[in-house]
Amino acid sequence: MLVIPGRRCHTCEGPTRRELLRAGSIGMFGLNLANFLAWQKTARAAEKFEGARGFGTAKSVIMVFLQGGPSHIDLWDPKPDAPANIRGDFKAIPTKIPGTHIGEHMPMMAKALDKATLIRSMSYTPNGLFNHTAAIYQMLTGYPPDRVSPSGQLEPPSPADFPTAGSHVSKLKPPKEAVLPFVELPRPLQESGVIGKGGAAGFLGKAYDPYRLYQDPAKPIKTEDLALRKDIPPERLKDRFELLKGMNESMPDLEKALKSYAIDEYYGKAFELVLSGKARDAFDLTKEPDKVRERYGLTTFGQGLLLSRRLIEAGTRFVQMNWPAVANGNPEVDSWDTHAANFGPLKNLHCPKLDRGLSALLEDMNDRGMLAETLVVAIGEFGRSPRIGVSTSGNSNAPDGRDHWPYCYSAVVAGCGIARGAQYGESDQTASSPKDKPVHPNDLLATVYYALGIDPDMVLLNHLNQPRELVKGKVVTGLWG
Amino acid sequence: MSRQINNRTLLLFPCLMLTGVLSAADTPKVTYLRDVAPILNKVGCTSGPCHGAAKGKNGFKLSLRGYDPQFDYEALLYDLYGRRFNRADPARSLMLAKPTQEVAHGGGLRFDIGSDYYKTIYNWIAQGVPYGNPAADTVKRLEAAPTEIFMKAPGESAGVKVTATYADGESRDVTREAMVESNVPDVAAVTDASVKGARVGEATLLVRYQGNLTTLPVTVLNPKPGFVWKALPQTNYIDRTNDAKLQRLKLQPSPSVDDAGFLRRVSLDLTGQLPTPAEVRAFVADASKAKRGAMIDKLMASTAYVDHWTLKWGDLLQNNRKYLGEKGGYEFREWIRESIEKNKPYDHMVREMLESRGSSYENPAANFFRVTREPKPTMEKTTQVFLGVRMVCAQCHDHPFERWTQNQYYEMAAFFSAVGIRPGYEVGEEIIYDQRQDFDMKHPKDGRVMNPKFILPAAHSGDSAVPTDARRRLAYADWLTAKDNPFFAKSTVNRVWSYFFGRGIIDPVDDIRASNPASNPALLDALTNDFVAHDFDLRNLIRTIANSRTYQASIATNEWNEKDGENFSHAAPRRLSAEELMDALAGATGVRPVFPEAPLDTRAEQLTDPHIGKDGFLDLFGRPPRESSCECERRSDLSLPQALNLVNGKTISDAVADANGRIAKSILGGRPDRDLIEDLYLASLSRPPTAAELASALKYLQAGSSRAARAQDLLWALVNSKAFLYNY
Repeated sequence: MLVIPGRRCHTCEGPTRRELLRAGSIGMFGLNLANFLAWQKTARAAEKFEGARGFGTAKSVIMVFLQGGPSHIDLWDPKPDAPANIRGDFKAIPTKIPGTHIGEHMPMMAKALDKATLIRSMSYTPNGLFNHTAAIYQMLTGYPPDRVSPSGQLEPPSPADFPTAGSHVSKLKPPKEAVLPFVELPRPLQESGVIGKGGAAGFLGKAYDPYRLYQDPAKPIKTEDLALRKDIPPERLKDRFELLKGMNESMPDLEKALKSYAIDEYYGKAFELVLSGKARDAFDLTKEPDKVRERYGLTTFGQGLLLSRRLIEAGTRFVQMNWPAVANGNPEVDSWDTHAANFGPLKNLHCPKLDRGLSALLEDMNDRGMLAETLVVAIGEFGRSPRIGVSTSGNSNAPDGRDHWPYCYSAVVAGCGIARGAQYGESDQTASSPKDKPVHPNDLLATVYYALGIDPDMVLLNHLNQPRELVKGKVVTGLWG
Repeated sequence: MSRQINNRTLLLFPCLMLTGVLSAADTPKVTYLRDVAPILNKVGCTSGPCHGAAKGKNGFKLSLRGYDPQFDYEALLYDLYGRRFNRADPARSLMLAKPTQEVAHGGGLRFDIGSDYYKTIYNWIAQGVPYGNPAADTVKRLEAAPTEIFMKAPGESAGVKVTATYADGESRDVTREAMVESNVPDVAAVTDASVKGARVGEATLLVRYQGNLTTLPVTVLNPKPGFVWKALPQTNYIDRTNDAKLQRLKLQPSPSVDDAGFLRRVSLDLTGQLPTPAEVRAFVADASKAKRGAMIDKLMASTAYVDHWTLKWGDLLQNNRKYLGEKGGYEFREWIRESIEKNKPYDHMVREMLESRGSSYENPAANFFRVTREPKPTMEKTTQVFLGVRMVCAQCHDHPFERWTQNQYYEMAAFFSAVGIRPGYEVGEEIIYDQRQDFDMKHPKDGRVMNPKFILPAAHSGDSAVPTDARRRLAYADWLTAKDNPFFAKSTVNRVWSYFFGRGIIDPVDDIRASNPASNPALLDALTNDFVAHDFDLRNLIRTIANSRTYQASIATNEWNEKDGENFSHAAPRRLSAEELMDALAGATGVRPVFPEAPLDTRAEQLTDPHIGKDGFLDLFGRPPRESSCECERRSDLSLPQALNLVNGKTISDAVADANGRIAKSILGGRPDRDLIEDLYLASLSRPPTAAELASALKYLQAGSSRAARAQDLLWALVNSKAFLYNY
């Protein structure tokens, strides 16, 4: 892993700081630098992983992020033979994966798993912090958070943060057409007052932040800067751009000095984006037949998944679809953070929405042939304690609640050639720890980058110009069967 | 095989320690310090992604780049119960079997069996793994020869010889083990110890060996024949010093920008505001020869100047209600503003903050300590803001590209360890005081008390003792603001310079270190000396820079300087900052945005802190959130969401069509077409249109039915043009 064949280097650090700094002198303010680096790194990765299984199989990603931490034992990894205080209230049902059972309130997913791999050995040990934001940050950036306030809460998002996966992807794999590279919906990642931690571009700069569509997709969506204004019909916008072109051209010295800044490219993309209406159309769910909308479920989550599919169709690289209720929320509404009332709400609220929405997404994308080049991941920041009514994170728990459990949980992954109808990894008798093939969240992130054709071992410079690996994880090539 | 090795070494370990000093007489004496540690660095064992990582690699941890040889030695010796060595049969030692891939090694092959490095380590093990004597085996001096490389043309090559001198006086050629890196590899490419001139320009080689470093400048001249230096007028020492270098490098500087271009640039740089159409007209028409200097004085006397520099210092000092509360932030801003307005000598301003005591309401300078609160971040901030030195890397390990050690980090942090903060009497008030006891700074490794000590001794006071009581921060203030502090004045002039040129003479401006050299040391020294001679007078510094021809150069290039990016031979366009852009839009469109929390007609440059207008236009365009004092917080790149906003967002679209805006007023006022177009150009691009521009604008205006809509289109295009978005 540390030796890059075909490259000479004095140390095993990959591109040296000097090389990267040198690249920095190519474009003045990082515009061309970004493109240049993306190009350079893609080229290197292609060389390194040429012909490797699963490498570069995905063009885009839908990250269905079940923030709050769903109970893996009740959803994906039932233990019918375990004692009642672990087994819980739900029964197990068979799935399309031979020999694999899941929770009884996920019947549609039981059928749809013939298109996906169920990972049952997600696992990591937090470094002292058991709260949601720390886990979300770990899951989506690949790095443990380092700045914690005295109350144990994380600091709010900062420009020094490690970038979230979608930001890396939109920088390293910029879409070729005029589309929104990275969209986050329908609400930010959140734990109490800490909003958006782990969901921003951090030291990559705001340019790589997600396009944040914080609206309920079950209602009509407003997209001001994407929609043409009533007073500016397409002809008028074209006139304006003609004028603009003429004005820029009349100052050749400035044009020359700014040549490397790629300003015209950004303007060209913005123009196309507004004029083509592609992104705006993607946001218009009324263009979908009622039958399809109903199949996804007329809920914020269901319609959000449908919107995710439409965005991917339009060319978006990375959709971060967050579960619409937040950690520390009320389980009786539908937060996954079920310290109390684990079973009733799961049965009546959470599972029906997740079951319907996720199964619809997999089936719909499969029918449209989109699964071939899209990676779908459904995961939370951790699972929940196998034993009911005990405290594992220092939180207080009701007798019918489950606490945070990062040591063993489950994920559903599908698309881009990943094995269909397969299970990867196995948990122990109580779903407390992986029995084999443990997958660290960093391994999963590394796999996401790898599937997109990005070298997960590449070294980048943070805000202090310190070299850091994109992610310190091992690609789970076994997912490709 | 590995099992066999392990079992045997385990048994041999005790006698290894006893007989270690007895070595075979026929091989050269080998010690860890002098011979082995450099090999571990050279072949990469101690690098960040390998065993130098914070947690090591695969259970084996070495210090990053070998900064702590004692630690590394002990790790090699005692980890795994000492199983890394087999003294009876050194070849079977893990320490040789791993890097030669005899035993599976995650890091791959590092050297071959029988190579020189192999032999050295073999002999070292055979001699009983002696550590060596730090008093004799430590490198005291590192020299590179030659001391400067000058190439007449790209394509030439030169060799570098690196010599280390040890504490005991021995000198040794360490060229092979030293790290030689180029800061601009496409100018000077380094392969091992050979430098090749790749293209015209300058680079600096950084030579590192065992925690020592030295630098070596490389110049590659332009071989093109026919260069004849054309002297341009020189206003002050900046031009004289910079021209000297440009002439040496065969870079013909660009002449001064025209009057309208000068006015736009200098107004933005001094006040953050565009000139009004009337100001442009008057300035262009003024026939006086001294008008540029007079304009600089006029702008510097304006309130916009005070606001503009208050904003910059507010960024650096992190004036943010998140840390200071609403009232605290307001008072702090007023204090900064007053300091700028009165042109308080910079050393006084800094001193007031560092020495501040008492209520944050009565003595707003004390808010300085409320942002960072703890000694370590306070120290990091003071060094980064006031010295341009980043100490943060040294918190966990010796700085890899500087001489700063982890010990120095804690010695420097100790200056602030006695600063106490307690609640005041009013809501949001806090009191800064000096603690009387239990304020020692302790080293995280062993808990020993770190007494305050300067990273560099102050020349004026010699090595006089630093008080260890609570007065320690006063000693720090003395040292910091001393005229002979090697970084205080230098980093400040460099930072201020960057605000006028888009880059520092040392760049980034807050990362000064030997491995990040000045592009023109003579120029930086001249500015520094002038600043010190004028008792840290910021206005004088700014006035001197603004009056120089170097600053006033055009962006147009000639065949000699078109590729120059770091010698200030021509101007480089800079995107307007978020606040400048918002204010410029208000000026061009005649519509001022409303901030619900601020009084009407507040300019973006006058906002107290980033809480106002959060997540809106200003943040999209890179306003710093003031979460750190890094100059890098302010972003000046352009992105797709920004372009979308400019093209189709509310801010511009609404403003050009506003019923009380410039267009509406012009149309209602019955302005003739020519006047209207000229006014739009003056208000947005700060210059009248050229004849061709006027003709094409007239054509556009008169082509359609709705004159107002067509005029709006013109203004839309003007404020979206590069000439509007950039300061050039």
